[in-house]
Amino acid sequence: MNENIWVLASADSVAIATTLILAALGALFTERSGVLNLGIEGILLTAAISSFLAADASGSIWLGLLIGSLAGALLAGIHALLSVVLRANQIVAGLALVIFGTGLANFLGKPVEGKTVTTIIHPLSFGALTDIPFVGPIVFGQDIITYASIAIAILSSLYLFRSRPGLELRATGDDPATVDSQGLSVASIRIRYTLFGGLLVGLGGSWLMLAQSAAWHQASTTNGIGWIALALVVFAGWRPLRLIFGAVLFGFTLQLPFTLQAEQITFVPSALMQMLPYLATLVALIALSRPSTRNKLGAPKALGTPFVRDER
Amino acid sequence: MRSPIRIVFEQRNETPKYLSTLVPLISVIAALVAGALFLLATGYSPIDTYSNMLSDGFTSSRGITDTLGLSTVLICTGISAAFAFQMNLYNIGGEGQLYLGMIGGAWAGLALGDRLPSFVMIPTVLLLGSLAGAVWILIPAYVRSRLGTSEIVTTLLLTYVAASLVDHFVYSPGSFFVTKNSAFPQGRLVPDSASLTAFGDTSLYPTFFLVALLALVLYWVVKRTEYGYRIQVIADSPRAAHYAGINANRTTLSVMLISGALSGLGGAALIVGPFGRLDPGITLLGYGYAGIVIAALARNNFSAIIVSGILFAGLRSGGDKLQISTDTPIHIGVMLQGAILLFALGGEAFRRYHIHAVRAERTAQ
Amino acid sequence: MTNTSHEVAKGPHHESGAAPSALSAHSIVKRFPGVLANDSVDFDVLPGEVHTLLGENGAGKSTLAAMLCGLYQPDSGYITRNGERIALSSPRAGLQHGIAMVHQHFRLVERFTVAENVILGSRDLSFRLNRSELEDRVCAVAESYGLPIEPGATVGDLSVGQRQRVEIVKALYQGAEILLLDEPTAVLVPAEVEKLFENVHAMTQAGKSIVFISHKLGEVVEISDRVTVLRNGRVTGHVSGRGTTDTKELARLMVGRDIELSTQRASHATGHEVLQIRDLSLNVGGVSVLSDISFNVHAGEMVGIAGVAGNGQRELADTIAGLISPTSGSVAITGSMSTDRGPIHARELGLAYVPEDRLGMGLVPSMSILDNLLLTRDRRIVVDRTSVQPEAVRLIDQFEIKANGPEHIARKLSGGNAQKVLLARELSGGRSATKLLVVCSPTRGLDVGAIETVRALLDDARSAGQAILLISEDLDEVMSLSDRILVLYRGSIVHETPGESAQLATVGAAMAGLSTEGNA
Repeated sequence: MNENIWVLASADSVAIATTLILAALGALFTERSGVLNLGIEGILLTAAISSFLAADASGSIWLGLLIGSLAGALLAGIHALLSVVLRANQIVAGLALVIFGTGLANFLGKPVEGKTVTTIIHPLSFGALTDIPFVGPIVFGQDIITYASIAIAILSSLYLFRSRPGLELRATGDDPATVDSQGLSVASIRIRYTLFGGLLVGLGGSWLMLAQSAAWHQASTTNGIGWIALALVVFAGWRPLRLIFGAVLFGFTLQLPFTLQAEQITFVPSALMQMLPYLATLVALIALSRPSTRNKLGAPKALGTPFVRDER
Repeated sequence: MRSPIRIVFEQRNETPKYLSTLVPLISVIAALVAGALFLLATGYSPIDTYSNMLSDGFTSSRGITDTLGLSTVLICTGISAAFAFQMNLYNIGGEGQLYLGMIGGAWAGLALGDRLPSFVMIPTVLLLGSLAGAVWILIPAYVRSRLGTSEIVTTLLLTYVAASLVDHFVYSPGSFFVTKNSAFPQGRLVPDSASLTAFGDTSLYPTFFLVALLALVLYWVVKRTEYGYRIQVIADSPRAAHYAGINANRTTLSVMLISGALSGLGGAALIVGPFGRLDPGITLLGYGYAGIVIAALARNNFSAIIVSGILFAGLRSGGDKLQISTDTPIHIGVMLQGAILLFALGGEAFRRYHIHAVRAERTAQ
Repeated sequence: MTNTSHEVAKGPHHESGAAPSALSAHSIVKRFPGVLANDSVDFDVLPGEVHTLLGENGAGKSTLAAMLCGLYQPDSGYITRNGERIALSSPRAGLQHGIAMVHQHFRLVERFTVAENVILGSRDLSFRLNRSELEDRVCAVAESYGLPIEPGATVGDLSVGQRQRVEIVKALYQGAEILLLDEPTAVLVPAEVEKLFENVHAMTQAGKSIVFISHKLGEVVEISDRVTVLRNGRVTGHVSGRGTTDTKELARLMVGRDIELSTQRASHATGHEVLQIRDLSLNVGGVSVLSDISFNVHAGEMVGIAGVAGNGQRELADTIAGLISPTSGSVAITGSMSTDRGPIHARELGLAYVPEDRLGMGLVPSMSILDNLLLTRDRRIVVDRTSVQPEAVRLIDQFEIKANGPEHIARKLSGGNAQKVLLARELSGGRSATKLLVVCSPTRGLDVGAIETVRALLDDARSAGQAILLISEDLDEVMSLSDRILVLYRGSIVHETPGESAQLATVGAAMAGLSTEGNA
């Protein structure tokens, strides 16, 4: 049945949006504190293999998710050390992290190349609700992490805009000198949120492994989703609620090639279909840079610059 | 009264010369040490791994020329990254521009190789490959110079698109680049007129000298010409550039195009050199990303890039052979690359600042 | 150290027997690379007192203040609060002791509202923010000192005077008993200065201590209970009593010798118009930044543009220099139109421009003096540095620039020397001989020696027949140097007067936007 494809496609879009939401939220928190962490792609890969190995060895997906998240926080910790404490160039540090993370992940994954993990995450069961036409599979057919990611996004929005620590976070990204003069520790705030961001990204990478891929293939597990997540943060204007919608949108472009292939629609070459998410992201980014739209975005003003208290 | 100790970062006015060489050196050593510990922890032998890597890369004569041969590409991508970096433009898409250089070069070779003599063909391949690289960076360059769109993500996204393009040209049936009616899709070799011969039995091609010369020429351009002067002004102070009537947008565009062309040249050099065909395996080698690491380590100094390029080629070429000699995953090479850069970044802090501990409060006499 | 007869019996510290000072510094020493910023300085302030730290730029007063609030730590010496020794390891420690500083460059998050800025960093807030409750709390504090503010306004939209008020409310909200105000009047119009002094009075009535840090003699004398003068890091004198002080004596303590405070004006104006501005208007993003400006500058004449920062000065200078294209109107230099033709064309017509931002815009920080000289010149495809070398050496000598030769990196020059390099380059002509010099805030942040040199250079240029457009926020400077004064307010020229007969009250009122008679 033809209309089924689109229902399935939409359900898949929401699913794949999980990783995008989590990774982008991680990047959002980090960037809101003023730190640019480009290493997301490397963190995703490392978290993926870590969760794979943990889940495979223990048989527990929860352990897998935990280890993967911690791996993400660990790598982010390296970035925090370099960027905040040692005031390194954050862009180069992030790239180095991608390279290192990619190498590390492939190194650890070599022994299990091509293997399928023994336990994976299954969608939650809502019984009859899943059978509601159209809406059913999309809304009720997801797994727990997907629902959690949306919940986390909503909570993040409340935290960022309605709480005192959220105010301090936003201030740190905009004007660290002011925050410092108010007696708060810029470095401590930045390190905290970089680590937390890494944790979220790690969770996203673990989910990608345990729910979506289920098998480790060198270098193709994440396929640039980290970079799309980074673009997504810009797209969402650094606001968590908008992230959800953007993630589903980009998720749609990511799963489209697989859906079309499954339905054996072949008039578009598969390679071109593969390019779609990246081209779509590119077009979106460029469209956002036009002067008319640029003013509405809220990039943290101090993003990417190390903070030094003004000592002569 | 207790006086807590604070760590103070005092910005240096002058960086002592010895630090500038000491810090990168220590970074490499630190990375190797950390790597050794890691290998131990994961059950591989550091001694075997390292000795194989280094000996294959550097000590056998075959190894050295293979190293130099590989360094041709790495120097290209390194200079490509550095040329843009010097103006704070982050061309991360050198990898994709390299692929396009291979595509463009292979196309030129296959389409024109039978009709033109060698001394015309070789420059044509190199030129078209460079052009292809420049075309691939054109959109990111344009939107960066006109709209200020971050070139980091745009160039990277296009790298993934380029990888799909390579896949498409190799795996789609009936492709121009592929041997027809073959059981396995395989890129067609370019005709002899578009191929250079290596020196002897090695993988060192004349392109190495071309590339090294190009690096020196570009260095001279930056230091001595009006174009280079403009680049230096814009890099340090865009407001001063505006004040002096220097058009930053035009310069941004041209610098990025040159950067793209250089990576494309690297790809084309692979066509006239060791590869000779459009090989999908190129997407697994990461030569473009290696160039970024090289440029960052050499701090955009072109002559240092030539040296680092050779060093990295040695690590790589030894690393690639690891597959055969030990069972250590070859990815240790990529990990070491990343680790060296991470340590070097940390070491930068010691170069830029004088870090020492002070007591927070001193009492009066 | 000079022991002047003006030293009051009270001395640097309040004698025992009375209440201890609210805050007191003893034998403070602070060194930075290459300079001794504070040399065994003593200072104290009593509850309910206004005590001013007076000194020229570079005298060490900001450094001392930074240590009093916890931003810096002294190398030796100690600080006491109400008689007890305290260690101020950070601004937070300062706040805990009730000491707060209002900086010259405000520490406010522009994107946030007034209330959000005031409470940022407060420890007594709940996890959840209740917007209206916060705004009420902030209002309560503000009103108790007669400081009207709008808690819901976005700081980015506020004027400079309003932002300063937010800073003061912030300090008071956080429980400051001692406020340090760093150059508070530098950014205010005379009328706003009066308002500030009223607020200060209200605060001292409530028992707060105020430390003024300033280099503006005239104003501090009016407001201060005591004045401590610093020069070259040392205390040169204490003066007390309001309005009873001789400003000449204070000036002598500040500088160490008698300085000529009178005006230097010797107009050599000819009839020849070098700069003609007609109906110049500039709209940026829907906001009118400049509107219908018309005036001329003649050869041998110095025209001064007075005004508070942010009324269009920078845009006016940039437009004249060809860096911005106006929305309408025209700029003509030496008789030829230069509007919309860019900075290079303007320079070919004889324009020279010393911008406000010396090291970020006028000079390239990482380049040598020699390379910076080439910045505004015609460079050939292969840059010829050798032919400029002798000229560079000559200029360094002629302008007495303290540097290690033409290869000296611009970033390492002191403020005064950087300014001299700029002037040397601009006055010596680039693409063609200089006929018109546009100069912005030429002496801001410079020590008195450099100030005198720069003013002399400008005077010489005027005598040599150059037309000079002086744009400065320093009203004293504009009034003492200019042959003619124009006042810029919200992008329009609202007042014009000859330099000799200019009245401070009238000009000051015009700067504040209050209408006056006698508009040109």
